Amino acid sequence: MHVIAMNAMPRKGDILSRRNFLNLLGKGSLAGSALISMGVLVRYLSFQSETSSSTQYDLGLETNYPLGSRITVQSVPATIIHDSQGYHAISLICPHLGCAVKAIGDGFACPCHGSRFLPDGSLRNGPASKSLTILRVETNAEGHLILFTTK
Amino acid sequence: MRRGLILASLLLFVATGFTVLRQSRSLKPVGNTPSLTGQVEYCLTCHADLPVISQSHPVETFGCVLCHGGEPMALTADLAHSTLRGGGNPSDLAVVEASCGGEKCHNGTPQVNRDHIQRVATSLQATYAGAIAQVRYAFGAQPDLTARMGVYAIDGLSAFDPTAESSPAIQSFGMNCLYCHLTAQPMVGDEYSRWSGCSACHSPAPREDGTQVHQLTTSMAYTQCDTCHNRGNYSLLDIQFHPREDAPTDRLHDYYQPIAEFTRCEWTLDCIDCHTRQEAMGDGHIYNNKKEIQYIRCRTCHGTIESLPLTYTIGDENDLAMRLAFLNPKVDLKVGDTILMTDKGELLWNIRMLPGVEGTTPTYELFSKATGQRLTFIPVMGSTCQQQPDQQDARYCHECHATQR
Repeated sequence: MHVIAMNAMPRKGDILSRRNFLNLLGKGSLAGSALISMGVLVRYLSFQSETSSSTQYDLGLETNYPLGSRITVQSVPATIIHDSQGYHAISLICPHLGCAVKAIGDGFACPCHGSRFLPDGSLRNGPASKSLTILRVETNAEGHLILFTTK
Repeated sequence: MRRGLILASLLLFVATGFTVLRQSRSLKPVGNTPSLTGQVEYCLTCHADLPVISQSHPVETFGCVLCHGGEPMALTADLAHSTLRGGGNPSDLAVVEASCGGEKCHNGTPQVNRDHIQRVATSLQATYAGAIAQVRYAFGAQPDLTARMGVYAIDGLSAFDPTAESSPAIQSFGMNCLYCHLTAQPMVGDEYSRWSGCSACHSPAPREDGTQVHQLTTSMAYTQCDTCHNRGNYSLLDIQFHPREDAPTDRLHDYYQPIAEFTRCEWTLDCIDCHTRQEAMGDGHIYNNKKEIQYIRCRTCHGTIESLPLTYTIGDENDLAMRLAFLNPKVDLKVGDTILMTDKGELLWNIRMLPGVEGTTPTYELFSKATGQRLTFIPVMGSTCQQQPDQQDARYCHECHATQR
């Protein structure tokens, strides 16, 4: 092992002279700074701001929604209904001020201000003045139910 | 030259490394996009531990900025709070329209019962117009007891300016006695501590040690009202406030200051069990004194020797009574229930007539809005009480029913 004295003259056979060491330190620092800066730049460019809510949801295989079922998907949130008319969905966003309504025994109830809705989403009592929104549901080629929150 | 370059490289490396390290240790933003605004805000980065202020105002729906103002994207306290409305109290009447107002919220709606901000702003509790009129009349500054001035100008009231008064007594009143209206800062002491504006009643009072609770409620205990009421007396002799000097240790003595006798229901219940929304928050009209707006009497619930109290049968689920009972769920009201009603048509949704045999004297049940306690009572009619219909002041009831203190 070679020990380099900082003020000593380089000798033949020394692997790292003082000059080489300083060169290496300078270049290493520059390379390190560049790497860190690149990392920061990549992070900056790949930053994803808060995305707006999706308008389309893959609900999985339609076989998961048997005839007669009413299944709530919290991530939308919506209740998926499969009846003799086919698949349809009721938005669980209260049309009053936008709270998430809860499915109860005889329909839906808003925990914020007390609006209630019948099992088909129609308005039972206010303060909401509109019924829950009916959402479109389609089956794609792979047999997945796709729910659209826009018309 | 070469050494300088190497030194600069080193410094650059240290600086970038330090910056990245510092950045990695800084707060990780916690975003919330409330459904009402659709705008991301980062308040929860620091305030995630705050309890939701009420069931009616979930943070996922309202967020923070809609009510409190502030800079939604800021990650430093100074910047985030630089544009807060009303400091920590967005319900202060100076900013309440921007915070709690709006047609979908608490004003600007065509429904009279929901125009809370306009009603409160013109109420005696906010304008103090009754007290100002009485003091100005007492010291000769106005010819009668008509309310002409409020602590601020509104709806025909001009702003009371003590410095413009010639009477030293009225000037002293302005200096010493304007602590209790809704725009005033309270006197010092936990017993007086309260917020201003809506939160004076609807939020727990902040304590002197700085602790405060993030809560809105329609279930106010009498102690909330007692931060202004029953704390003492204003004397016209020296124009000073004289705090009560007793040290009450039980509810009977704590409720009121020691100046009178009261019936059991007056100190067993909480203030809001009897006094209505219009009495407390006004009805949008200017009144000359408290007696004009405070209209609940014993007969409102107990009737008279000749008549039963007024009742109202809930016709459908959109009834105001159903909404009020939902917001303060102490009684399980149902369509078809018969509740009591005041002379002005205000629904006493916490007092329900019990089913009974037709033709017999009914019994009523009251659920305390503050505690949920259930009490039953009977009307005057059909009882042994001989109170005359024209003797309805509480003093007549106190003759027989007052509790010795």
